[in-house]
Amino acid sequence: MGLTGLEIFKQLPRTNCKDCGSPTCLAFAMALANGKASLDKCPHVTDEARENLDSASAPPIKLIKVGTGDQTVELGDETELFRHDKKFYHPTAVAILVSDQEDVEAKVNQIKELEFERVGLKFITDMVVVKNDSGDADTYKAAVEKAAALTDKALVLMAEDTGVMAKALEVAAGRKPLVYAATAENYEAMTALAKDKGCPLAVRGKGLEDTAALVEKVAALGYKELVVDTGERETSKVLADLTQVRRLAVKKRFRPLGYPTIAFTSKEDPLEEAAQATVYLSKYAGVVVMKTAEKQHILPLLSWRQNLFTDPQKPIQVEAKMYGVGDVNENSPLYITTNFSLTYYIVEGEVEASKVPSYIIAVNTDGISVLTAWAAGKLTGESIAAAMKKAEVEEKLAHKKVVIPGHVAVLSGSVEESTGGWEVLVGPREAAGIPKYAKANFA
Amino acid sequence: MIIIGERINGMFTDIGNAIKDRNPAAVQEWAKKQEVAGARYLDINTGPASKNQAEDMKWLVEVAQEASDLPLALDSTNYDAIEAGLALCKRPAMINSVPAEMPKMERVFEMAAKYNAAVIGLAMNEQGIPKDAESRVALAMELVAMADAYGLHMEDLYIDPLVLPCNVGQDHGPEVFETLRQIKLLADPAPRTVVGLSNISQGTKNRELINRVFAVMAMACGLDAAIADACDDELVEAVATARIVLNMDIYCDSYVDVFRKQG
Amino acid sequence: MAFNLHKEKYRSKVSEVVLGATKEEGGTRSHTLTVGGESTLPFLQFEGDIPNRPIAALEIWDVAPEDWNPCFDPYYKDVYDNTGAWARKCVDEFGADLVLLRLKGADPDGKDRSPEECANTVKEVLEAVSVPLIVIGCGKGEKDNQVMPLVAEVASGEKLLMGVAEQENYKSITAACMVHKHNLIAQSPIDINICKQLNILINEMNLDLNKIVIDPTIAALGYGLEYGYSIMERARLGALGGDRMLAMPMIGNVGYEVWRVKEANASEEEFPGWGQQEERAILWETTTAVALLQAGMDILVLRHPKALEVVKKNIDELMESNKYE
Repeated sequence: MGLTGLEIFKQLPRTNCKDCGSPTCLAFAMALANGKASLDKCPHVTDEARENLDSASAPPIKLIKVGTGDQTVELGDETELFRHDKKFYHPTAVAILVSDQEDVEAKVNQIKELEFERVGLKFITDMVVVKNDSGDADTYKAAVEKAAALTDKALVLMAEDTGVMAKALEVAAGRKPLVYAATAENYEAMTALAKDKGCPLAVRGKGLEDTAALVEKVAALGYKELVVDTGERETSKVLADLTQVRRLAVKKRFRPLGYPTIAFTSKEDPLEEAAQATVYLSKYAGVVVMKTAEKQHILPLLSWRQNLFTDPQKPIQVEAKMYGVGDVNENSPLYITTNFSLTYYIVEGEVEASKVPSYIIAVNTDGISVLTAWAAGKLTGESIAAAMKKAEVEEKLAHKKVVIPGHVAVLSGSVEESTGGWEVLVGPREAAGIPKYAKANFA
Repeated sequence: MIIIGERINGMFTDIGNAIKDRNPAAVQEWAKKQEVAGARYLDINTGPASKNQAEDMKWLVEVAQEASDLPLALDSTNYDAIEAGLALCKRPAMINSVPAEMPKMERVFEMAAKYNAAVIGLAMNEQGIPKDAESRVALAMELVAMADAYGLHMEDLYIDPLVLPCNVGQDHGPEVFETLRQIKLLADPAPRTVVGLSNISQGTKNRELINRVFAVMAMACGLDAAIADACDDELVEAVATARIVLNMDIYCDSYVDVFRKQG
Repeated sequence: MAFNLHKEKYRSKVSEVVLGATKEEGGTRSHTLTVGGESTLPFLQFEGDIPNRPIAALEIWDVAPEDWNPCFDPYYKDVYDNTGAWARKCVDEFGADLVLLRLKGADPDGKDRSPEECANTVKEVLEAVSVPLIVIGCGKGEKDNQVMPLVAEVASGEKLLMGVAEQENYKSITAACMVHKHNLIAQSPIDINICKQLNILINEMNLDLNKIVIDPTIAALGYGLEYGYSIMERARLGALGGDRMLAMPMIGNVGYEVWRVKEANASEEEFPGWGQQEERAILWETTTAVALLQAGMDILVLRHPKALEVVKKNIDELMESNKYE
């Protein structure tokens, strides 16, 4: 959305000099808001006002890229506060911390193993943060070089001494790492470094307002490839700051905070750390930095990210295939449903509750529910028969009975026909009826 | 859309007599009735026959507040009468109304700031009511800039694009809708909008049907409030339904009852 | 640019529900627990009040569960057969704010316990612990309609939180709550419209709105958690915007949902890529709970004591003031 008439009016001199050709500054502001005039017509507008007006057309949160190639991470460019209003676009990047005082090779290799397969999807962590704890430039450079050699993941270089950072960038600048961080003490030199190497730069202040002021100073040096850290580390305060940054950027177009955010966990216990990271991931963090790299600590967080960043308008699907629930064999009953994940999981839950080991075929309906799919012609005798054939039911089962959802009882005949004589049983209309149905028919 | 109940107006015989006789019964009955029916403000107008508008306004404010907890919209062109009423209001009130004219805007916005009141601003000036949307919006912008200068929140400024009866000013209809849409783009947060609903049907047959249809169409263009007959059940039902269709309230089977109870 | 915080001004707030009654109030609890009352989104104390911290219950059964994961054994095995002792352990040893008793034994397809037996178990638990109590039926409507009225009667005045009322079956439990002054869980199937309508139906039977707790039904992490999450966010925004029929505190059966899924139960041998089972399961439960806290959950029902511990610590941290100076 562009600027409103009032916002433009406030940037104008308000002298009603008529030099622009409009009778009043108010009229000129209206013309600008409607795109019927150009700001150039006003000879008296200040440079500051011009910049404020120009930047208003940019997206509320700048898109920042970290890394190179396939593993480039895109941060920011969000427009919503709640996923149900539209959707969240760029999933929070999950980064894992490596200290230059630990065994870098071991930790990076551990991080590389954090790749999970679930529900037909692959989940990975996105970034490796190499932190300068040693205080020594050569040690740090070697650690960065080693990490860069071991992984293609995007890197975050974490060192506040600009000399240390400069040295590390000699070997890593080509990977476009996130340079962390410009602070009140070092921002001039750190900004010059990042700008020179074309690497994105994190800006860390002391609280929200101080951070905004520091970002303005960095921006005044001519660099805007930024990520912000308000410096808070306590859970509730980080939540407050992340919320404010998102709101100010999206609802107020407040430029100094119109960048993605980075949040660091502070808890030492890995379970508490994971809980803290869950809060930040839920509420707007662009990057969340974790210390633990154990599989069981990271998988839940990545699963939540996958859930949260799905498009609410677009149904999520399970893989269209045959699933076995419980200890199935060739005599187990066979149920049909669709591959809309919510539908499938409800059916799966009830089949499980029935305590009768069974097969379920999720027919590919592009992720829509039973009745909708039937109405759209995506759940038909033919599509059911095709799915059964693909699942090789004839080979896997010793019987020829198939249960279809009660809502599509009308498909009985066509399923029978398309499958070449399978006996079609009409199941309950709602999944909740499955346990009772199974007890009556298969127990 | 919130309904500002129009019934406490000296133009109606029962209210006119009530004012004359200082008999609160009719005023209080309508205050309660409109509240139960779904009104969220009560419009208070002494009517044209009032000899002493300030005194009549004060009396109406007091007796209405005895009967209902709804905030009041003080409706007069006599700003002294409005100020006298504002001083007695227990809840932040609404000033109805001011045109985009100096020095009226100065007087009204100053008063609004002093009494923490909302203001209905009319998209008209000394030259009258403009015909096209563009000129109406320009006047709206003047109201917005002035309200902002006096520190009024945009949520407390209700701009009335001015509705003309559809049998005489048929060509104004589309301009009013366009004005409603554009007013929402004047500031962020946007100012609110209001109409005097029954104007659209003055002098026509089918008055209630015209009011209802206009109300839902205007809501689709962003209308926030209307001075209207809160006791027109079908109007209230149409408004409740439009709120559902526009995703302003969360649907449930009893949504009309819910709307009546909580607005 | 001038810096100004962005604070929302909400019209309304979440209703407050009081669970439990002390002796003076006609019950036998040592203290009451109040939930709800928020006047802003979760934990945003910089713009509103969070007068009552979210609370966490542990779930217990009136019969020994046959299919709970063996990782529970070190915690519960010795008390599975003694519901009162199980409740006591949850409160005294594991620090649960309160206990949810699921009357699983009533299930006609299981032990088919009589209403009288169920009522006795409720009494046993009330004697074993002094915290407020949540009691829910076996989930089979017909049977629960026989069991819950008797439970309400024997616990009269204790201000239990009782469940569940559903759109197709709410009258008898609502009536029982009215007569014996309990609170009620209104459960809707991940559907905000039914959620709202059910509250209206219950309220039309004259149960006060501040006696109702919403169960929006949530799925486990990875199994559609985001649906419930978004419904809760919408309901809470509705509540803050003045929709009284959605302005109740919310409860979620986190443990029940999480411990049904593969990611909580599968061994590391089976899925080496998923890491150690028990910690994974604890975090599956914790992550589900912590995410839901961010959508406005007021009462979390958990199973694993370690998950309870981590979730309570997370709540402690979030209840620290984040007001700006």
